[in-house]
Amino acid sequence: MTSTETDLAAALEASPNAYFIVDRDLKFVWANAAYLAMTQRSADDLIGTPVFEAFDAGPGAEAPENARQLRASFEKAFATGLRNDIPVIHYAIPLPRADGLRAYEDRYWSVVHTPLLRDGVVEHVLQYAIDITELERLRRSAARELETSAASTIDAIVGGTLLSGARTVQADNARLETERQGLMDLFMQAPGFVAVLSGPDHVFQIHNGAYAQLIGHRDIAGKPTREALPEVRGQGYFEFLDTVYATGEPYEGRASRVQLQRTPDAPLESRFLDFIYQPIRDARGGVVGIFVQGHDVTETVRSTERQKLMIDELNHRVKNTLATVQSIAMQTARSHPDPGTFAEGFQARLLALSHTHDLLTRSHWEGADLADVLSHETIAHGPHRITPIGPPVALGSAAALSFGMIFHELATNAAKYGALSGPEGRVLVDWAIANQTRPVLTLTWRETDGPPVSPPSRKGFGSRLIERNVRHDLAGEVKLDYADDGFIAEFSVPLDFGRS
Amino acid sequence: MSQTLSGRVLIVEDESLVAMLLETILEDMGCTPVGPASTIDEGLALATGAEPLDAALLDVNVAGRQVFPIAEALKARGVPFVFSTGYGESGLSDEWRGHPTVQKPFTEAAIRDALMKAMGVENA
Repeated sequence: MTSTETDLAAALEASPNAYFIVDRDLKFVWANAAYLAMTQRSADDLIGTPVFEAFDAGPGAEAPENARQLRASFEKAFATGLRNDIPVIHYAIPLPRADGLRAYEDRYWSVVHTPLLRDGVVEHVLQYAIDITELERLRRSAARELETSAASTIDAIVGGTLLSGARTVQADNARLETERQGLMDLFMQAPGFVAVLSGPDHVFQIHNGAYAQLIGHRDIAGKPTREALPEVRGQGYFEFLDTVYATGEPYEGRASRVQLQRTPDAPLESRFLDFIYQPIRDARGGVVGIFVQGHDVTETVRSTERQKLMIDELNHRVKNTLATVQSIAMQTARSHPDPGTFAEGFQARLLALSHTHDLLTRSHWEGADLADVLSHETIAHGPHRITPIGPPVALGSAAALSFGMIFHELATNAAKYGALSGPEGRVLVDWAIANQTRPVLTLTWRETDGPPVSPPSRKGFGSRLIERNVRHDLAGEVKLDYADDGFIAEFSVPLDFGRS
Repeated sequence: MSQTLSGRVLIVEDESLVAMLLETILEDMGCTPVGPASTIDEGLALATGAEPLDAALLDVNVAGRQVFPIAEALKARGVPFVFSTGYGESGLSDEWRGHPTVQKPFTEAAIRDALMKAMGVENA
């Protein structure tokens, strides 16, 4: 031995910590006073004895496994030339009782095996053993009382890995990894969008498929939110994130509108989102990130808007129709001072309006064919007395309603004073479409074989209604001609009026 | 309600029957109807034209377009006006909410009250 080694050996001998040295056969070659005192053995007893003969781990069910674990650690130190630790090992040793006999006592140890090399070869291993039995008992009783905080504090004292041996840690790690992967899969495949942001700049750590789809599959991983989604600046969302990070209070948005660049170089697209920003806290309770979770509710919001529009439109039509009916009532009353004839005239006009409504309902208010409108309004006067001649003409709903009223007034007038008042009279209605680029409908109502015609002394509601309807509602022109041999009405109406 | 109104009142209304009703009501009140205009363009021409106007009755929805440009023109000219609508208050944009409005179908009294309110508001 060199003098340095002699000094070292003396230091170890005098150390209050327990040390011993084994050779490659795991036999004691040396043990210090502290070790002999701790195990209550003499040097003569131990030197030259195999470790596992002197200490066989006792009779318990776990004993063989405990011995195997300790042996493995020695062997590893010999084989690798590297230090090997067992943070905690359960190992009973025989200790003398009051009666002088030895009995096994349960002990917990923390051991360190240090290889001692000569010429690069491991000849011996030094064991440094600490009896942690009291500590371990304390920890176990604390854990039993579910005082996990106390337990974890002690865990921390003993090095954090005290809870389980290396093998259990490994098994736990594998289980945790499986769980983590399972959660990750759930997260990635969740139908709603999910993202995890970290730090005060809200850096994207993870985001799932739904989130990627929402923002148009941009590369955002590892980027601060303001940099990843620049178009969102000024829409309030970055400020909400800052507030959640600063206050630790979650923020929830309902049907919240956001403008996103979902396609490069395309205009921003509006989406409506239900979402929550939830703070993520570390073990000490400080906010370290934000969990973003939500759903794209754009379709729901749009269909609600459509529904509201439809109800508004329905209301508008109903109210306008009521105003129309009100007008018919008022105007009819003025030209029929007698209540009996008023009721007749008013009802006939209401029915005329209703007939055209029926026609329009069939086409979901998209329009009606001119010939259909004509026959609906005049059929009551006999199917063969009115002859329609002309091509199919699709009328928009407003034009159909106007022509319905017009044909009704013409037929009523003809039945009262014109061709339909006698048995022989007939009406020829012919029409054509002129100017194909901006189509104009020209239509002639021509009465024949009726009684002699004379112009009315004053304009009745019927003829005023016709003239106003054509000029006002149809932006067209009409000429009423009270010719001797039969009344003629000539119409000229642009067909694209009122359509986009 | 014996008070009578007078003056030239512009009518903007796309349905001829409703326009005829308004004309009749206005004539009965002692007013002279102007128009009626059935489109925004026609209404704007009358609202900004040389003819004097004392008031106006504006249908909010004119052949699918909103009447507000005409309302702006009349406001600029200092002509009081009343909206008529089947939509109720929700048919008015925020800017015009609270402005005198008559709901379709309307009574002669409702039109008279609204016109007087509009004119009174303007004169105040």
